[in-house]
Amino acid sequence: MSAVSSGSATLADVIRTHRRRIGLLAILGVALVLPFIPPFTGEDYRRWLIVAAFMAAQAVAFDFTAGYINIVNFGFAAFVGLGAYTSGILAVDFGISPWIGMVVGASLAGLVGLVTGALTLRLRGIYAAVMAWFVGLALMGLVRNVPEVTRGSLGLSVPLLLDTSENLPYYYLILAMLVVTFVVLAWVIRSRYGLAFRAIGQNLASAKASGINPTRYLVINFVLSCAFAGWLGGFYAHFYGILTPDIMLTSHTVEVLAIAYIGGRGSLWGAAVVAFPLSIGVEWVKVQFSTLPGVHLVLYGVLLILVMIYRPGGVAGLARSLDEWWKRRRLPDRPSEATADTGG
Amino acid sequence: MALLELSGVTRRFGGLTAVNDVTFNVEAGEIFGLIGPNGAGKTTLLSCLAGDLRPNAGSVRFDGRDTTGLPADRMCRLGLGRTFQIPRPFPNLSAFENVLVAATFGDPKLHGEAVARRALEMLEYVKFPRPIDTIASHLNAAQLKRLDLARALASHPKLLLLDELAAGLTPGELTSMATLLRRIRSDGVTILMVEHVMGLILELCDRLSVLQYGELIAHGDAATVARDERVREAYLGHDYVL
Repeated sequence: MSAVSSGSATLADVIRTHRRRIGLLAILGVALVLPFIPPFTGEDYRRWLIVAAFMAAQAVAFDFTAGYINIVNFGFAAFVGLGAYTSGILAVDFGISPWIGMVVGASLAGLVGLVTGALTLRLRGIYAAVMAWFVGLALMGLVRNVPEVTRGSLGLSVPLLLDTSENLPYYYLILAMLVVTFVVLAWVIRSRYGLAFRAIGQNLASAKASGINPTRYLVINFVLSCAFAGWLGGFYAHFYGILTPDIMLTSHTVEVLAIAYIGGRGSLWGAAVVAFPLSIGVEWVKVQFSTLPGVHLVLYGVLLILVMIYRPGGVAGLARSLDEWWKRRRLPDRPSEATADTGG
Repeated sequence: MALLELSGVTRRFGGLTAVNDVTFNVEAGEIFGLIGPNGAGKTTLLSCLAGDLRPNAGSVRFDGRDTTGLPADRMCRLGLGRTFQIPRPFPNLSAFENVLVAATFGDPKLHGEAVARRALEMLEYVKFPRPIDTIASHLNAAQLKRLDLARALASHPKLLLLDELAAGLTPGELTSMATLLRRIRSDGVTILMVEHVMGLILELCDRLSVLQYGELIAHGDAATVARDERVREAYLGHDYVL
């Protein structure tokens, strides 16, 4: 379908065809200079930015599953925790570099994802979600109950990733990890695998009737998402320097889910973009209402409900409608490109 | 050797026998009709052939091999295409992408640019009337039927199962659908169609089977079956019920 129009493309045409990419690069540009814009010049506020980018990357990995194959991984936080503990324990007990530990943690999370997925993804939707949740709870129970290795709820002290206590390098590191997560997963979505994911997520019967082996693609998707969760968990471990089993709590999964859904299911970029204002806002609320622990979860809940009722497509869905409205508005002065394509 | 051979196919749901000991063959190149009153088990039988349901007893042979109980995706890749009674598109994909899915995964022989070309050809083949980038959830029932047909054809099937393709079409649409089905057959695809529109059945089908209460009550060339007394009774409700 290479129906590129003849002759010289104006700058406006280039912008129009690449508007998605340009928009994302502009947002990345803002994220790059954000730590130099007050109030984010302060160390405390820069810490908020790190949390935001960490949430964004997790939400992208979560949306890769929830938004495309339509399976909600309620055990997501446990896979993040699995990666974190793997990397942490390797560093503490075996002196292995956190950089290697993070990759090992990602692999182990992917492997547990493979077993979980192979067992649960034959089941439909809600059953797979519940099974993934149980696996998550079991992992958290395991971490709690082997204090010889994990020090349980006392917390495991873990070496830091960088040789500094400043926040700025960590911010750029997690921003880079966010970009890698996004670029890799977006690339998979554009491949034939992504086509299979979307087909399965939108209509299982037709996907099968079109020759797709659903279990195979569901498992591939699930493993990738879990592996990225584990990798990001490694960052968490070696940024905070202390690990407790609470990292695996379902409430963390729900925070990631809320961001992914508010950003817009099945878009990847929506989750990444809304994570910044949302988690910065939530950090602010946590500080203001420090006497009310858990108030941020209520906030996420209310926002999620409002989005589900009024804008089920989330921010990405809103952007898509605006884009379509804009195209329709321009239609009269341009012949329909799509109809012309059919002839070729 | 027949393209499709059913022998003693039986499917039960709990205590209900939806399909009972059905045996018939579909020869390569023919249009074969399967008719019967509502609830006779026609769709259940199709599901047993297409791999959505496993028969409780009996066997299905397709294209020279035993395919009893193979899953639907295997059946598709072996050359069995099907449309659904109520079209089930991928709602958020464009019409083109809907067909692209089947061209990508349904035909193992197809690679590279040929995949997208096949999808475009099939949309053209069924005379899909809307721009190909139209999102499937914006299509009406008749357009969805054509899209579903294009999807089923995109995997390059040897046998096409059509479940009430004509239901809900206007007389004009019916005529053009009949023309299209004849063209599909002449392009070498065997068709097994479940249908209620008798005009279309008698116009197109070479042979017919009639199903009632899950059992085959008549079988043979279309004109003879249509005159069969038992078939008329089944359809007109002229049964001598106690």
